[in-house]
Amino acid sequence: MKRYRQHSIEFGNLSDVPFWKTAGPIDLVYISYGLLVVLLVFVSYVLGMTGFLPFDPQEINLELLMAPPNTEGHLLGTDFMGRDILARLIIGIQAYFLPGLLAIALALALGTCFGVLAGYWGGGLDTASTYVSNLLNSFPRLVLILLMVAAFKPDIYLVMTVVGITNAPTVASLIKSKIQFLKQKNFIEAATALGLKNAVIIIKHILWHNCRSVLIIQATLGMAEVILIETSLSYLGFGVQEPTPSWGNMVQSGANYFMQGKFWPSTAPAMAILLTIMGFHLLGDSLNNILERKRDQ
Amino acid sequence: MKLASIKPITVLISRELAIAALLLLGISFLVFMVLFLSPGDPFSSLLKDQTASSAIGTAARSEIGGPAPWYYQYLAWLGNIMRGNFGTSIRTGLPVLREVIRTGINTLYLTLGSLLITLLIAVPIAVFSARRGFTATNWVLTMFTYVVSALPVFWLGYIVIYISMHRFGLFPLAFGSGAQTWSWVYFMLPVFVLGLSNGTMSEVVRHLREELSRVFSEEYICTARAKGASIWKHSFKEGFLIPITEIVATKIPFILGGAVVVEQVFNWPGMGRMAWQAAQDRDFPLILGITLMAALFVRLGSLIERAVHIIVNPRFAKE
Repeated sequence: MKRYRQHSIEFGNLSDVPFWKTAGPIDLVYISYGLLVVLLVFVSYVLGMTGFLPFDPQEINLELLMAPPNTEGHLLGTDFMGRDILARLIIGIQAYFLPGLLAIALALALGTCFGVLAGYWGGGLDTASTYVSNLLNSFPRLVLILLMVAAFKPDIYLVMTVVGITNAPTVASLIKSKIQFLKQKNFIEAATALGLKNAVIIIKHILWHNCRSVLIIQATLGMAEVILIETSLSYLGFGVQEPTPSWGNMVQSGANYFMQGKFWPSTAPAMAILLTIMGFHLLGDSLNNILERKRDQ
Repeated sequence: MKLASIKPITVLISRELAIAALLLLGISFLVFMVLFLSPGDPFSSLLKDQTASSAIGTAARSEIGGPAPWYYQYLAWLGNIMRGNFGTSIRTGLPVLREVIRTGINTLYLTLGSLLITLLIAVPIAVFSARRGFTATNWVLTMFTYVVSALPVFWLGYIVIYISMHRFGLFPLAFGSGAQTWSWVYFMLPVFVLGLSNGTMSEVVRHLREELSRVFSEEYICTARAKGASIWKHSFKEGFLIPITEIVATKIPFILGGAVVVEQVFNWPGMGRMAWQAAQDRDFPLILGITLMAALFVRLGSLIERAVHIIVNPRFAKE
């Protein structure tokens, strides 16, 4: 089996081999875990939007404060006001889902534009985009966000715009180095010789055929970062405010009862953060292993 | 000979310094524009519900200074910064520079200490997995780094505080109050928490492992091994020094961001906590000073990285 696989890589067209045949089994496990997380987040978001929840997330039940998991139908227990934690976790996804997609879209769009400008034309544009990306990379993201919060208002879409813009340099540098690598290849030269327009070469031959995977990987890693930032901000009190749930402010409000030994109301959202961010990291890294490593060789 | 080997390095480093200065100028302009474009002003939030009539409010406002065009404000502010005058905090009235340096040193301890912790954990794991390839131990270690870098740092902070209070009878929230026999523990706990879960562990391990396995498969390492020399000594520059400075320089912003949260959890009297306070009060001079100082840290880090690059690999100097 192994010999056939190596054979097909050496002589066949690489893009004809489906990636799951060339991937190591452990990467496939990571990818399926990551996809499971993506699916869960998506399904939970849809459930939360359509109001299809096990309990009302705002319903206060003073009879049942900080119940352990699986009491009276509360699958993940209740928090310090007797509200169902599972329902609040599901609703909490809304705090970062759409803003996060905005941040990712912004990062990918800006990053691609700057990357193409710097990599394809180079020269002064390259210097300028390096300067801008160094400028943006100089700010610790959370400090910059605090600055924006101080200057404008604690609005999640504003924060995520900042995250998107500050993430763009990473994408841009990846796209740039990719293009610089591709420009040495014959097919770009052939396309130019055939008289194809620059726009066609960039969009079809470079971005679609060769930078797709980079963008997907960056989107995945970007989502992990968005969740981290949203939870940190909500924890610091600049994000979503109580009583609207977000994973960050659930950890924060649960933590007030930590010293009494009531771990669960704070640990459940913390575990949700942990498992989700880990899923996105594993997905991104494994996709990178599979899609990028092979092709560069 | 000596002159020839030193000169390009000095030239390049001064070039890096010039670039850093240019970047700091851009940073200051960007930050200034953000605050200039912002709606509302700090006076209204400072004087809110505190003055009997609007006349007193206007009087207090003209006491501090009337409005001026943006370029005038920027140039005046920049000129003041050049002379080391960052203004005074609107809330406390204390000079910003002194406050930022006072808290910045605490943050520096926190970030450098946690960087050390991160590297102490990450480097052995990376070396181990680069040498051994894929094994069960290796997998467990890699998973550990993934879990640790996805762990919300505030939650880990609470766990550590809880354990230290209930198991050891320590109160790590009292850092800086002095006169305590265990003050180094109070110092170490936040450093440890930030070092463990600043979210960069998995990337540090990943980067180091890739670089190390690449270097270990180079021919000069093979030669070194064949003649019985230490491969560690030969791989140090390319396999350890450059990747570590590279990843540390790129991760400093993230660690500073994590410091904001950790300082909040542990009540650490640092820059991040002050930034949080300043953001709540809309204390513009203070947050300007903090942002500039944080950006200065980051630029310093990447300056060191470039210098290491240039010194280790003089070929780099010719580009």
